[in-house]
Amino acid sequence: MNTIIKVKNISKSYSRGLLALDNVSLKVNQGKVLVIMGPSGSGKSTLIRTFNGLETFDAGEIEILGIKINQNYNERRIQKIRKRVGMVFQQFNLFPHLCILDNITLAPLNVQKRSRVEAEEYGMYLLSQMGISMHAEKYPSQLSGGEQQRVAIARTLALKPELLLFDEPTSALDPERINEVLDVMRKLAQDGMTMVVVTHEINFAKEVSDQILFMDSGKVIETSTPDIFFSNAKHERSRKFLNQLDK
Amino acid sequence: MYLKKINKNFKKFREILLLNSLNNFLTIILVFAIFITFLQTFNWLIVNSKWTAVTTNIPLFVFGTFPEDQRWRPFIWIMSLLTICFLSIVPPKWKWLRKNLLIAWIGMIPLGIFLLYGGFGIQTVMSRNFGGLTLTILLTVCSSMFALPIGIGLAFCRQSSLFVVKKLSSIYIDSMRAVPLIAVLFFGQLLIPLFLPLGLEIDSVWRAIFAFTLFVSAYIAEDIRGGLQAIPHTQIESAKSLGLNHLQIIRFILIPQSLRIALPALTNQVIGLFQNTSLMSILGLVELLGIGRSILANPKFIGQYIEVYIWLASVYWIICTLLALMAKYLEKRLKIA
Repeated sequence: MNTIIKVKNISKSYSRGLLALDNVSLKVNQGKVLVIMGPSGSGKSTLIRTFNGLETFDAGEIEILGIKINQNYNERRIQKIRKRVGMVFQQFNLFPHLCILDNITLAPLNVQKRSRVEAEEYGMYLLSQMGISMHAEKYPSQLSGGEQQRVAIARTLALKPELLLFDEPTSALDPERINEVLDVMRKLAQDGMTMVVVTHEINFAKEVSDQILFMDSGKVIETSTPDIFFSNAKHERSRKFLNQLDK
Repeated sequence: MYLKKINKNFKKFREILLLNSLNNFLTIILVFAIFITFLQTFNWLIVNSKWTAVTTNIPLFVFGTFPEDQRWRPFIWIMSLLTICFLSIVPPKWKWLRKNLLIAWIGMIPLGIFLLYGGFGIQTVMSRNFGGLTLTILLTVCSSMFALPIGIGLAFCRQSSLFVVKKLSSIYIDSMRAVPLIAVLFFGQLLIPLFLPLGLEIDSVWRAIFAFTLFVSAYIAEDIRGGLQAIPHTQIESAKSLGLNHLQIIRFILIPQSLRIALPALTNQVIGLFQNTSLMSILGLVELLGIGRSILANPKFIGQYIEVYIWLASVYWIICTLLALMAKYLEKRLKIA
């Protein structure tokens, strides 16, 4: 089994001495889904953003798809990682001045230098997979939140990534729109995509994840399989968090 | 329906203007004053005004002293500018033309230079024969097209992480904005020839374009910077996470978005530039206002000041309004939510 992500003792502190990440280690194997949970401000987003270099860290080492990065910012290596790792954000972050298809083909055309015909064909295929091929000529502002998030997923998939990072992908959506995005993610997991997901969706975590990592104030509190985590969490803090969520 | 509306407005009118005796009195006085003024103006416009200075010199206003048999050249250039303006507003159906609109815009400058100066098979014309609306448009189009890329460059330099680059562009922008335009124009006309080595000469049209470009680019840089600051940081993050590099992010994300955001301010700059070209009339170029002044110096048209200036004002007004309408339409079309 290939290890896709290997994080060894990374730490990050902000200027006021606040620890955003405190000696975090984890491992994700190929085809597995890791769900990161925790109260807000616990460092989940910071952690997931270190994986593709959007966030730097002060100590430790990360190895992604065999590419090692450490506290010294190495543009070339991070660029290599970004070409193979996709990321989906809470606020979709589509490019408002480009139509949906152009949003999707921008990176394949300019980063991977694929031909326009090929990129557009694959983009249309992805859009039809997401069930929104009829919106290809529209602009992001004309779409609903759920549709925009599916476009954002298609946009990262267009680069044929080997690892997908999701940073609270459903937190900005209306409750009735959440499922259309989660369905897409379920399908991706079934197809064997390696994923790291920061989310508060318990049902999604129960169904899809292979491992749950619970964080609080920058520390990893526990790492367990979903069965154990949701029925019989090892740590007091995780049980408290789950109780809060149930209410 | 309409009658009702009129009736309602009338009632409102009466309530506001004819409420008590003092209001009555003031209203009557004002109406009388307005009536007198209008009567005078109309009287002058219809009976006393003499428009010969304008009507006999229309070609002069448009082409200046461009040789008469060559006037088709600036005419073609102005027409092609109008066409490309129209194409930019109403996007053509052919995709290749839409994609190459920018190249066509850039091509307008060499086309204009070729048509106006001549050479390569058509008769050459000296720049001192340029004048009137043609020269005004030449100054505006060339200066704004040169100032836009320079302004974009300055705006990015000002945001650069390199200290020297950042400081230099800040100093340039701030000092240009602290100097009056007329001083920059004097600098262009009087000082540049002194700096140049003997024998090398730039004609006064290009010195004017150079000075306008220097001045306007600083303002454009600030407008673009405002646009850049309005782009949320998450846009850059998502572009980075897609693997786009620095230059690609600038080219595909930052420039198009900041231009859209800055479009109203940029329109302002172009309209301002168009009007400011009239300053060149005191520096020896006979553009639209300059032609008006030289026509007034002709004893044949003595005393027709008001007519000529009214005519000039309306030409400026019409062109500026057209520009503003064009920009408004573009804004609507390019609006980003």
